Amino acid sequence: MANRTLPRLLQAPAVIMLLLWMLVPLGMTLFFSFIRYVLNSLRRPEWTTPSIENWRGLGNYKYVLDAKDFWFAIQNSVFIVVSILIFTVVFGLLIAVLVNRSFPGRGIVRVLLISPFFVMPAVNAVLWINMILDPVLGLNGLAVAGINDLVVGLREFPVIGQFFSMWPELKPISFRASQTSAYAVIMMVTWQWTPFAVLIFMTSLQSEDESQKEAAMLDGASAWSQFINLTIPHLARPIAIVVMIQSIFHLSLYAEIEIVSRGNGNKNLPYLIGEFTSNNIGAASATGIFAVILANIIAIFLLRMVGKSLMD
Amino acid sequence: MAAVAQTTPLSRILWPALAWTIALIFFFPIFWLVFTSFKTDADAVKPEHLFFFTPTLENYANMTENYDYWRFAINSVITATFATAFALAVGVPAAYAMAFDPSRHTKDILVWMLSTKMLPAAAVLYPMTFLTKNILGLFDTHFLIIAVLCLINLPIVIWMLFTYFKEIPKDIIEAGKMDGVSTWGEIKDILIPLAWGGIASTALLTFIFCWNEAYWTVRLTTIDAATLSKLIEGNRAPEGLFFGRLSAVSTAAVGPIVVLGWFCQKQLVQGLTFGAVK
Repeated sequence: MANRTLPRLLQAPAVIMLLLWMLVPLGMTLFFSFIRYVLNSLRRPEWTTPSIENWRGLGNYKYVLDAKDFWFAIQNSVFIVVSILIFTVVFGLLIAVLVNRSFPGRGIVRVLLISPFFVMPAVNAVLWINMILDPVLGLNGLAVAGINDLVVGLREFPVIGQFFSMWPELKPISFRASQTSAYAVIMMVTWQWTPFAVLIFMTSLQSEDESQKEAAMLDGASAWSQFINLTIPHLARPIAIVVMIQSIFHLSLYAEIEIVSRGNGNKNLPYLIGEFTSNNIGAASATGIFAVILANIIAIFLLRMVGKSLMD
Repeated sequence: MAAVAQTTPLSRILWPALAWTIALIFFFPIFWLVFTSFKTDADAVKPEHLFFFTPTLENYANMTENYDYWRFAINSVITATFATAFALAVGVPAAYAMAFDPSRHTKDILVWMLSTKMLPAAAVLYPMTFLTKNILGLFDTHFLIIAVLCLINLPIVIWMLFTYFKEIPKDIIEAGKMDGVSTWGEIKDILIPLAWGGIASTALLTFIFCWNEAYWTVRLTTIDAATLSKLIEGNRAPEGLFFGRLSAVSTAAVGPIVVLGWFCQKQLVQGLTFGAVK
């Protein structure tokens, strides 16, 4: 048995740093979630310093659970995350299968496809909400205006003009309203993360058993039944991993919502925590603990899978 | 694969054409960003100049004046570089010990490290603000951003290095030990040269993650240590006024990283799935 001191010493800095990073702020959040703590209060100035004297027990949790905003934020978080998951997995699967054959320029196609993943979230949001989705000056607005102009022009013609005069004038969708801005967030994140799903599914497809497929083909199985019966089961594990990793990332979506919504009511849990943090720290902390619990439920499954593949 | 499919000429044209179309659609927003960056602010919102216009470089020339671009870019470079360097400096010895001298707790430690990565940042927003502002006095300093970026990426760094180091035959390291090489010598003269490719791609990927980070860099800075994420976030909604110049500064913020990203697509899978997909 080798001396254990040295390996421990080598790991110590990393372990200690991560331990502090995890325990200190989280411990503070936990503490703040049990006390009355606000940043500004003329009536109760004693609440503006964090102290055990202001113990509130589960009061903050009750306050948060009773807040309409909290349930809306949970609902909206889940809506945004689940929508993104469905789109990225479906698109990811189709594109991965499509690109997983050899054809001219496959390398370039891969590079083009993966590019959105490296765009920083802030630029992603600014680009989509302004240059693409703006209802007047973005491509969204310009395209709708172009179609309307075309229809108006076609009305001048005999016979078909009659037909087009019955067409309504189209109105571009504004993506800055509270509900539609959630759609905008889903769109831009799907654009950014589909490449991630494609990349993972492609990596996994390359390890697919080709002899099985050839056997299936000799038996006269159609391409579709091969896809359903062989490819999808082979991809079950990568799909699970894509779903879990994305859930963890997208439950903490922040920059996109901040940039797109600008306080129009479209919020998720991190955004709500940000709002509470401007004054009610007790409520912000209780919400934070809920967010940790939510993330942990998913993380436990993911870590189990990762843990299994760790040592082999 | 798909011997049947490839014999029909239609599918030989159709599938590649479809793949190309989808790739171009996905790349289009990036193309449009770069394309718009060569228009003046006035041209950028005129439908008649949608595709045809006189290209100009004035948006790039005025980037310093309009946005103080270089100040933020330099902050991004400094924080991402040092955070990556520190994460490697801490991560290489740790991963070395875990890969070549594992104890029965090594697996648990690795899984625990990953679990820290999964805590939602927003949950500790106020404690981090409070600690850095009121207690440590580090708010809006380069040191703070470097430390935070280093910590949030450390689990991925250690994990990636661990998987690379495991590929190296143990005998080589053992032989070094027999010859009486010190641990530091082993790392420096045997491990690093052998795992150079893996270390380099870990560094590259970490640098990209640091560059793109958009929660702490926005919430824990005001101006001194503000990075490009903060710059873009601060100019988020020009309501059509400055599409040209905003496109230019955005292009300058993401261009280098997208190009770097092209070179480490393969490592990305490993880095983000913690090796669970092979």
